[in-house]
Amino acid sequence: MRIVTRALIVVGSVLAAAAVQAHHAFATEFDAGKPVALRGKVTKVELINPHSWIHIEVVGEDGTATVWMIEGGSPNALVRRGITRDSIPVGAELIVNGYQARDGTNRAVGRDLLFADGRPLFFEGTRVSE
Amino acid sequence: MKHSMTRLHRSSIAGAVACVLAAAATLPAAAQTSPTGPLTAWGDPDIAGVYALYTTAPLERPEQFGEREFLTDDEFAEIERRRLEPREFNFESDTEPGTAGDVHYNLDQFALGANEGVNSPNRRTSIVTMPANGRIPAALPQAAARREAATARTRGRQFDGPEFRSLTERCIVWSQTLPPLLPGGYNSNLQIFQSPGYVLIQGEMGDPRVIPTDGRALPENLLPQWNGTSVGHWEGDTLVVETAGFRPENAWRGSSDQLRVTERFTRVDEDTIEYAFTVVDPETWAEPWGGVFPITEMDSVLFEYACTEGNYGMANILSGERAREREAAAGQ
Amino acid sequence: MRISTAGFVLVAAVFCGACASDEADGDTVEFPRAAGGQPDLSGVWQAINTAHWNLEPHVPGYPVLLDLGAQFAVPPGPGVVDGGEIPYLPEARAERDRRFANRLTEDPEGKCYLGGVPRSTYMPYPFQILQNEDDILIVYQFATGTRRLFVDGTDPAPLDSWMGWSNAHWEGDTLVVEVTGFNGQTWLDRAGNYASAGAKVTERYTPLGPDHLQYEATIEDASVYSRPWTIRMPLYRIVDEDFRLLEFKCEPFAEEKVYGHLRKPGTEFPEEVRSQ
Repeated sequence: MRIVTRALIVVGSVLAAAAVQAHHAFATEFDAGKPVALRGKVTKVELINPHSWIHIEVVGEDGTATVWMIEGGSPNALVRRGITRDSIPVGAELIVNGYQARDGTNRAVGRDLLFADGRPLFFEGTRVSE
Repeated sequence: MKHSMTRLHRSSIAGAVACVLAAAATLPAAAQTSPTGPLTAWGDPDIAGVYALYTTAPLERPEQFGEREFLTDDEFAEIERRRLEPREFNFESDTEPGTAGDVHYNLDQFALGANEGVNSPNRRTSIVTMPANGRIPAALPQAAARREAATARTRGRQFDGPEFRSLTERCIVWSQTLPPLLPGGYNSNLQIFQSPGYVLIQGEMGDPRVIPTDGRALPENLLPQWNGTSVGHWEGDTLVVETAGFRPENAWRGSSDQLRVTERFTRVDEDTIEYAFTVVDPETWAEPWGGVFPITEMDSVLFEYACTEGNYGMANILSGERAREREAAAGQ
Repeated sequence: MRISTAGFVLVAAVFCGACASDEADGDTVEFPRAAGGQPDLSGVWQAINTAHWNLEPHVPGYPVLLDLGAQFAVPPGPGVVDGGEIPYLPEARAERDRRFANRLTEDPEGKCYLGGVPRSTYMPYPFQILQNEDDILIVYQFATGTRRLFVDGTDPAPLDSWMGWSNAHWEGDTLVVEVTGFNGQTWLDRAGNYASAGAKVTERYTPLGPDHLQYEATIEDASVYSRPWTIRMPLYRIVDEDFRLLEFKCEPFAEEKVYGHLRKPGTEFPEEVRSQ
């Protein structure tokens, strides 16, 4: 039973419940009381460890542009599924729902990352099969 | 094809000898057995590859199984049915908004959820098989005393600076990459790379262990290392690795610097290695304990895991705490 | 690995079937060979030079912190660059000089960041090459860096990384390694010499003798240099009996440097951790 990770074979989530073993406690870095909903164009993509960071430029109602850093996960499993540095083009518009950094700076953990048309980032649609 | 004999490697000599003897009369059972499975070009058992550590069995045996090590056929069939059930990526948040549990990226978004869809089938009721009840023995009192002393040393200072934060936050070591290797949350994958006289074992988020396989003993006076020091040798088809000399700050599962781990890697079929381990630490557990589980080969390579280089998180945690302190001071 | 050089010569004489000799071909170098006939680069190696201080020729220099005195002064070195100087574009040379002036804060080595390629080769620490019939893996003592060399590999780098993505092939007795996919954040030495993320590094490992390799690295980066340029140096086999790389996880030693400015006001670096 060779596991071919190019195909996206995902199995039952009931098993050996993979507890979220976070690199760190996100609640110490981000504030559950500061939810954010952001929309902006990608300026930089850091698919890095221990966490990816996607930079988006958010234009406020008054026209001023602010760059937000959005925290995500390790990219190592994405690499196994064929994701490359070109998978999120610079200039692509993203929608981010998440929580802002505790220190009030323009950083957030991205609870949900979507393209402007509502598709989740990295994978087309919600069903993944061979 | 044999490795050229321009270099004296005990393992290549042993391989040559083993091949000769295997063709001759059978050896007494008590003697070192010859490997029977696939071999590397120089005659060592071939265990190389990239493996996923996830398996269906839990670490410790649920109490309802008592001392039963194996599932019944019906129980196994049910576990297999659930293991093989296709699952969709879940992009809908199922945690309560505004709670600490919701403050996290979506694992599925980064394909890190559900063990990346890789779970080795497992007929056992647990990973731990020794002691007979399949549960890790209770820790000795000195282990609790060590933990309490460590906590007391840093009480109230955990956010002063980076030094007293966890080893994973500091990007020093992930305990899931230390021996014994146990399945963890994500990136719980392993590379085994072989060359004559050496086996390299590296967890995806961990450091490389370059293990000589010439059967040398562990030196008496080991320099403590985060990953300990490992030595190995071959027994038939099995790579046996002994590791000791861990730094006391590791405190893997509350253990001390006396921790010694024995690992056994045996290929059981073309995609599967059986991984068995024994843990000994007389300063933490009154008896040795250990377990066994299969690890499954992945058709993949492990990408670089440069942790401290990208550790924005540490700076963010500290600056977040500084902001909270300022707010608290301003509020008074 | 338990052999001394004398033992090697004896073994070679007794067992040598496929090893190179200088009987028929006077140019063939005596060096361990793998089953396929190519050199077996396995072993522990180290550069012995001042390239890690400065690839270009350099006189002795002051330590970056004066209190460190002569112990950490920069020793002199003849340089390892073919032609002497790195052919920077004018604005790139200015950037190199700016980095030199700011090396205390900006050199990634001080932060325990991976050395990248080629810097990892000539950092003053040993590294171990593991070679089998398919691939090669190199483990560097500094910051436990590793890189996999995909022999006859052609895949491009999926993502940028610190150690780059290495595709290798043999040209006669030379292992040629083409490295791309850098993230542009590594330096080439402690003097501020650098390449960008667009760099391509081509390494060449060639046996010189049983315990010596010649290492060359050609760096191409049109955004930084006016032409490709090459460094060259010997690598020396570590022949100490039973030598093993030790673990040099430098992360704790860089913490005060990297995060000290975020320390809780009124507290100091806890000296008790120094003894750990």
